Amino acid sequence: MESVKLPVQNQSGYYEIRLESIGGLGANLCGKMLGELGLQYLGLNSTSFSSYGSEKTGTPVKAYIRYGSMEEEIRVHSPVTHPHLLGIFHEALLTDESILAGCQNETQIVLNTEHAPWEAAKLYRQMSNVGKEDMRSAGQSKITGRLCCVPAQRIAMETHSRINVVMLGAMARVMGFVPLDTLYDICEKTLGKKYPEALAANLKGIQKGYEDVIVEPMRTPESTTMADAEINQKSSEWGYATAPIGGINPRYGNSVISDLSPSRQGYIPLFIQERCINCGLCDSTCPDMVFQFQKGEYKGKEMMVNKGLDYYHCKGCLRCVAVCPVQALVAGLEAEHSRKEWFIPNQDLLRKPDYYEKTGPDGYVTSESYLTEKRMEGGEV
Amino acid sequence: MKEQIMEYASGNEIAAIAVRQIGYDLMGYYPITPSTQIAENLDLMRAEGSTDLIMIAAEGEHSAAGICYGASVGGGRVFNATSANGLLYALEQLPVQSGTRYPMVMNLACRTVSGPLSIKGDHSDIMYMLNTGWLIFFAHTVQEVYDFNIIALRLAEMVRLPAVVAFDGFFTSHQKRRCYRFAEDAVVRDFLGEKKDPYPFFDLEHPITVGSYMNEPDLINNRYQLHLAMEEAGKRIPELFRSYQTLSGREYREWEGYQHEDADTLLILLGSSYDTAQAAVDRMRQEGKRVGVLTLHILRPFPAKELYEACRHANYIVVADRQDSYGAGGGNLSLEIRAAMQRYGGTARIKSIVYGLGGKDFYVEDAIHMLEWAAEENEADFCYYGVTSGSQAEQVQEEFFAPLTREKTDLGITTKTLNATTAVPKRLAPGHGACPGCGIPVNLNLLLRVIEDPVVLLFQTGCGMIVTTPYPKTGFKVPYLHNLFQNGAATLSGLAEICYRKQRKGELPHGDILFIMVSGDGGMDIGMGSAIGTALRGHRLLLFEYDNGGYMNTGYQLSYSTPKGARSATSHVGERQYGKTFFHKDMPQIMAAANIPYVATVAESNPADFMKKAEKAAEYAKEYGVAYVKALSACPLNWNDKPATERSVIGAAVDSCFFPLYEVECGKTRLSYDPEQSGKKIPIIDWLTMMGRTKHLGKEEYKDIVEELQMEVDRRFRSIKEKSEHPFL
Repeated sequence: MESVKLPVQNQSGYYEIRLESIGGLGANLCGKMLGELGLQYLGLNSTSFSSYGSEKTGTPVKAYIRYGSMEEEIRVHSPVTHPHLLGIFHEALLTDESILAGCQNETQIVLNTEHAPWEAAKLYRQMSNVGKEDMRSAGQSKITGRLCCVPAQRIAMETHSRINVVMLGAMARVMGFVPLDTLYDICEKTLGKKYPEALAANLKGIQKGYEDVIVEPMRTPESTTMADAEINQKSSEWGYATAPIGGINPRYGNSVISDLSPSRQGYIPLFIQERCINCGLCDSTCPDMVFQFQKGEYKGKEMMVNKGLDYYHCKGCLRCVAVCPVQALVAGLEAEHSRKEWFIPNQDLLRKPDYYEKTGPDGYVTSESYLTEKRMEGGEV
Repeated sequence: MKEQIMEYASGNEIAAIAVRQIGYDLMGYYPITPSTQIAENLDLMRAEGSTDLIMIAAEGEHSAAGICYGASVGGGRVFNATSANGLLYALEQLPVQSGTRYPMVMNLACRTVSGPLSIKGDHSDIMYMLNTGWLIFFAHTVQEVYDFNIIALRLAEMVRLPAVVAFDGFFTSHQKRRCYRFAEDAVVRDFLGEKKDPYPFFDLEHPITVGSYMNEPDLINNRYQLHLAMEEAGKRIPELFRSYQTLSGREYREWEGYQHEDADTLLILLGSSYDTAQAAVDRMRQEGKRVGVLTLHILRPFPAKELYEACRHANYIVVADRQDSYGAGGGNLSLEIRAAMQRYGGTARIKSIVYGLGGKDFYVEDAIHMLEWAAEENEADFCYYGVTSGSQAEQVQEEFFAPLTREKTDLGITTKTLNATTAVPKRLAPGHGACPGCGIPVNLNLLLRVIEDPVVLLFQTGCGMIVTTPYPKTGFKVPYLHNLFQNGAATLSGLAEICYRKQRKGELPHGDILFIMVSGDGGMDIGMGSAIGTALRGHRLLLFEYDNGGYMNTGYQLSYSTPKGARSATSHVGERQYGKTFFHKDMPQIMAAANIPYVATVAESNPADFMKKAEKAAEYAKEYGVAYVKALSACPLNWNDKPATERSVIGAAVDSCFFPLYEVECGKTRLSYDPEQSGKKIPIIDWLTMMGRTKHLGKEEYKDIVEELQMEVDRRFRSIKEKSEHPFL
């Protein structure tokens, strides 16, 4: 096999890729495909791995790929901190600026977005202002890189393929050294045997991603490099001098600050209070303690009354919609309901924290479910 | 050299390939991250028919080690794989295996030992093995995982000692890399040769006794024999590496070095960090610094002399351990290297570093820091690398909720309807990380909404625990304790008894407190002994099981509660396997046989019944003894169905009589709901086809399996019904 030539290598001789995603978009499998592609079809030595964690839906996932020359072993085992290519599987991820950590002037960023590059760049500039204060205090300035955009979600829906294969096609095009037919080969090898019926659609998805990505390198404004060293070191406010001994956690119930809206997959329960008979079935089936019942009156009787839902913690499982006997709860597309009059923060909270306000209207809207990825891979994520 | 095939594989994947090629007879195992994939991959090969390995899923690592021991005494080639606390749970069995001199191979995907529970990689587990009498190989690459698995078995059978092949959890077990394997299995098998037993166990004409009762003066001689075997192994290793090299072309010795020959400063570490550190050496060499790095391939027998020879020219040595021998001034590797250097007259200044605990990543820059620190004259000779002190500013404890004191929960609700009990504050705060639609919090809330006394919760390891307490967050608003899942019930009994004693002595206010253990069905497999023991002792507490029919937190391996025929990561469906091969465990009947005052099964599809039983169970647990309640709990992720449908899936399990709703109160069984009588009974297949994990059973080819399951389900239901109708049964 003839080796392709890597356009750029870092100090250690590697071309490095990082994928930023959440469980459900198939980044883990995409990383594996990119890794195997390097070794089996591009004549490159290669390695790939994902961020490791518990087995569950909706959590952030990172995947890392390193390419090197066939003659050299790839020695480094640590995560990719300064990617040459950064694949972002959903633009909502950009609300967390650490997603872009380590990007340099030459980093190519492939973003799944409906926006044109100039719009995305603008948006991107706004987003990098979200955590402005933190960034200033950390001595970091704006994030940089070359932005390439692909509407991967739309293409996936149109071609009945998955976001990860569309991203694969788009990223390969941007990388510039990956022939399209090798992508077909790796896709066929990875998915073809197990899911022959889905193969044609996935090949189409790859092709569309490859063709439709806007490669024109677009320098984002105010390009400076982020401080690197700080990126790697996760530090907590609780350290050896401040944390209670033994891992004891006295902050009872502080999981309440977790924003669970990223777990939603496009749908939310809508509440039509006029129909509600306050039977409490929704509360009995909700795994996330979303329903806010308060003492009140219903049909002249004193009882607990359903006042609304705490969307900050709703994962959009729609269990409540399935059990509601009177259709007081119905499923709706979250994107069509950015204002939720019946949104009530958890009523047991001693104070109403401002983070509820920050919860965006649509969270992470994913068209494919994590379950599909599990089926495709038959393994851990 | 023999023909080889290039693979793109992780350490776990290549280990499974080695096991297949070796042609082992049996694997006894219990799933534990990050080693689980080895068993999963092998099970997939079994299903496809590419291996006939017997795979026995034990109910815990202790049993897995026992299964392996028995099989190796019987003369089989035997394999096991584990990690972390799995190894420690099996630890007692390891000296039995070596002391009675039965070779086998275990793989250890190294992971940090609890607690606090962490699933990530470090070397705190492997170092517990140093005194077990096992040969210890340490592979720092995926390639070595393959090669050492073959070499270790050969050495083990040569000197009749068991061997472990250790490698980094995740960094090696999960990172996919290029590696080579022999094209022909025969190459591997020829290298190993036939397994020879000096004392065949099944030779009925020459029966033997294994496992004598032995005191002085004999035991020390037995141990000396073991010592001699280790010495012998040390002598055999070089020739073994050489003969393997003629097959593979890959050269090994007890240790491996990079730029170490003329190095002034040496960094010694185990596992994948060695490779990363090589990049650091290259960078520092470019700046003219004479640095090198070294690792060990073998920890037992410890190659002290060889190591001394390799390091004798260095002036500074820093040994970095991914574990600590607390109080000893370094991790075990550093202690052993200090001893080895001292033994042969080394003069280098040696420092010890503890780094990378709990899977903390190791970057090239870290290796550079370590090498620079090694040569700094004024520094201490021991440090922890990568700790953070924390920021003092954040010390104020934020309170999110008012404490759930007795007054807050004791509302005096007389009729506990769903509506009325919405007023009872939830003990679990929102914000936990369970998957959308998960049944665990649903069942927990259904249980707790009728309990107005203060509750104390103990969770055994499992999804329920992981998703609620990711440090520094916790979802619990009440006192909460986790213990490893072989031991939750016993732990809770100790906790409860101290509370009751403090109340008796007036040190705590009187008033009922309900002690509840929450466990998955996995916890009720490995922790069954502890639960039954607790039940038999009759402590006043409640055992609550959420049964989702599998080990979901580790990626869905079969549990004893998984329905027969169900697909899981350790019961694949393929040409040669139809899914899980044995019937689901009947835990309520096992607990009923312990004659505890209250046993009940509950389902969220019947919430009124659920709440009634929860109330009763609480009363029994407060007044009389152990109450056991089991809920069938949905897992959309691994049942492979839609989160929104779960209540109806649970309902179908009840209607099919797979999960009959009943209670056993003071020995008397009462069926709570009879689907037959209500005309709602559905065939078992109607439930099975609602879930992706059992959908395949709808095919014609699995008709017999479904029929068997139907008969078993009907038989069990009939038995409950008979008992319900005849109070003395």
